[in-house]
Amino acid sequence: MDWHLLGLSFITVFLSELGDKSQLAAIALSGRCQSKRAVFFGTAGALLLTSLLGALAGGTVAELLPTRILKAIAAVGFAILALRLLLPNNETSADSE
Amino acid sequence: MKLDSVPLNVSRISPIESETELKNGIECDSKNIIIEPLKPIDDDCAEKPQSALVTFGTTFITIFLAEIGDKTQLSTLLMSAQSHSPWVVFMGSGAALITTSLLGVLLGSWIATRLSPKTVEKAAGVMLLLISLMLFWDVVIGY
Repeated sequence: MDWHLLGLSFITVFLSELGDKSQLAAIALSGRCQSKRAVFFGTAGALLLTSLLGALAGGTVAELLPTRILKAIAAVGFAILALRLLLPNNETSADSE
Repeated sequence: MKLDSVPLNVSRISPIESETELKNGIECDSKNIIIEPLKPIDDDCAEKPQSALVTFGTTFITIFLAEIGDKTQLSTLLMSAQSHSPWVVFMGSGAALITTSLLGVLLGSWIATRLSPKTVEKAAGVMLLLISLMLFWDVVIGY
């Protein structure tokens, strides 16, 4: 086992992910007290899958997949999640008040 | 004849009724006993299995799509290509990613205990909008 490489990859990825989009998303999604475990497993699973693809496929991922289109889809998905949080607030506040 | 048959019927019915009552009483008691310890730690959040599955699915898909071709994945594939030992790189980066997402979830739930649910919802919505804008920016710039 190459401990040096293991530590290097851990530190590199840890620092680059700290405060990145996915961590912000994890913070935002777990804030709504729905289900922290589901958010954690969803986030960790997705990140593990991307890094597995990255580690195994090497440089071919970016060439094989239309990453820009996928990112645009993800952006729309996050926008929908955001709007679902922001918009129905009017109904709930009207009910409570 | 009729007078004889009526008490018989009553005597037949009444033990069954009392038994069902007993069963109901036992079931209610056992339900109470079983459910009480299984209640989630934060009992103000009613967790439905369906909503948990939906949360898992939406989180997984959005983050997976957002992170494909991101700088973390690029650094991972660069390291694995340079070192020729992809599994070690995957283990290192995987441990780091689990740690960061765990930190994120813990931080988010800690913040949620400090603020009112309305504020949390609004802040989360603004944050998700920000992430969406960041992703759109990536798409436009072409990373």
